[in-house]
Amino acid sequence: MNAMLAPFCCDREERERDALSPREVLAVEDVRKTFEEGSQKVEVLRGVSLAVDQGEVVALEGPSGSGKTTLLSIMGCILTPSAGRIRIAGREVSGDEAALRDVRKRSIGFVFQQYNLFPALTAQENVEYALNVKGARGRGAAAEAARVLDLVGLGDRRRFLPRDLSGGQKQRVAIARALAGSPEVLLADEPTANLDTAVGTQILELFQKLAKDENKGLVIVTHDPKVRNVADRVVGIRDGRLSDPTEH
Amino acid sequence: MVSLARKNLLHDRLRFVITVAGVAFAVTLVLVQVGLFLGLLGKATVTIENSSADIWVTSRETPNVDFAHSFPETTVLRVRGVAGVEKADNAIVQFMNIMLPSGAEEGCLVYGLEDFSAWNLPWDVESGDPTELRRGDFILMDRSAERRFGPFEVGDYREILGHRFRIIGATRGAASFTTAPVVFMDFRRAQGLQQTVHNRTSYILVRVAPGHDAAQVAERIRAVTPYNDVYTRAEWAARSRNYWVVSTGLGMNMGITVFLGILVGIVVVAQTLYTSAVEHVKEFGTVKAIGGSNWDIYRILGEQALIAAVVGYAIGAAMSFGMRPLLAQLHLNVLVSPQFAATVFAGTVLMCLGAAMLSFKRVAGIDPALVFRA
Repeated sequence: MNAMLAPFCCDREERERDALSPREVLAVEDVRKTFEEGSQKVEVLRGVSLAVDQGEVVALEGPSGSGKTTLLSIMGCILTPSAGRIRIAGREVSGDEAALRDVRKRSIGFVFQQYNLFPALTAQENVEYALNVKGARGRGAAAEAARVLDLVGLGDRRRFLPRDLSGGQKQRVAIARALAGSPEVLLADEPTANLDTAVGTQILELFQKLAKDENKGLVIVTHDPKVRNVADRVVGIRDGRLSDPTEH
Repeated sequence: MVSLARKNLLHDRLRFVITVAGVAFAVTLVLVQVGLFLGLLGKATVTIENSSADIWVTSRETPNVDFAHSFPETTVLRVRGVAGVEKADNAIVQFMNIMLPSGAEEGCLVYGLEDFSAWNLPWDVESGDPTELRRGDFILMDRSAERRFGPFEVGDYREILGHRFRIIGATRGAASFTTAPVVFMDFRRAQGLQQTVHNRTSYILVRVAPGHDAAQVAERIRAVTPYNDVYTRAEWAARSRNYWVVSTGLGMNMGITVFLGILVGIVVVAQTLYTSAVEHVKEFGTVKAIGGSNWDIYRILGEQALIAAVVGYAIGAAMSFGMRPLLAQLHLNVLVSPQFAATVFAGTVLMCLGAAMLSFKRVAGIDPALVFRA
């Protein structure tokens, strides 16, 4: 089977096989999401199933309004689905906001299009603060922050404020923050949208390397065709359903 | 642990300065205004607090120590017979006119006793001997009189109600709430100056015998003096203070000042923290997205409020204490006790935390999904 087409053509048998995979870190099954806008109900996701393994890079492509950000939010436990199941790191995700927050702390790392760094904090502090939120304190947090900044090649920029870093360096700090605490899943939302081609390519290569070396399941929501070069799979999404990415 | 609250606060220095300035202004306003008020109130009870009388017997409904009415001086004999009374003496406190060398006439508050040293009045004698007052037409005048009466020297003469007295000494710290300077003279001479106090007295000062309770002795005195009021020292001081606080509107005035100070502090802190919260919505969304709760964000706002409170209080308190010498030159006493300073500090912290809470609702509704919006 063409690896690029695998996700949207997986049948029940394949999904079940994926679900049983010991390497699976993220799985959504028949996920639906409906928003109410006044008296109208808008179904944004219409039964999406997707599984991501350790060390796997999945690109999620789709036009604006296709539901990819909603899917990313659900995979990141920021939104709860109207129906369907989610498993992260082998555990069924359910419960209230506190339970979802615990999953976010433990198992998810986010990378955002706008970096979303804290402007008042240095690179080291940005990463360390995220670790503090996750419950790490003191020297352990500082050492872990230093380790992940070294991993993304910013060991010599630890004391720099975001305003003193280039776009690519800011995104590296954001990646380091996402990696901090060793979550099983990394979710990136248009991570190269604000970067030029060369820097964007470097960031994608870094993503690929980290996903492999650190054994993370990585989902990149993107419009950037360069992502296909580093993705193990490309998943298309259109009108709330997974689709053939070649149609975009 | 990284303090996002502190870093954000210092990152936007102008906003931090405005916040702290607002708090410092509120603290200065409250400390100075209430300090002045307490300093002023201190004058209303300074003689009560410094005299050694445990109990004051007054005429009925005497509102405060300065505004005395008279009653028969023989009442003291009944008081002396009460069990638990060690000593009881008559005392005259009376406003009288004094003629100045310039020919101007002013008012002064005359304290007349037979045995000043027995009652620790006056308590701070700069020169002269209060026991000498019985020997002739002599007075002791408080130095604070110089502000209204002009300078005086020991040996100078002054006319009080047309009677000539020689100043044989000076005292310090004796004052009345009405600002009328205090003059000490012999009881009988004071009695003789004014028809209204002939054979009468303004107060009876009572010392309680060792081992007796002042409140119980006061109760016994009440039983034998049905036409008088009897107060322990604390009760009399409170009554004198309350008169000025309530009847003059000073208390209401001070309450409004304190309210305005707190209001200014809350408005400034709430406004700057709220604006800051709105500007940092995306950051707070990020905090939530990476696993933070509303409480993590409340803690950030609370910590910022606490920093503003501590720094603002420190600056406000320093300004208030710095103003004290300047106000002292204007003969204004700013009375700030450690308890009052601690109360204002606690109030400042509560005020800032309360102001921060106004932003809580705004941040509670932040959707972490906004981090995905460009």
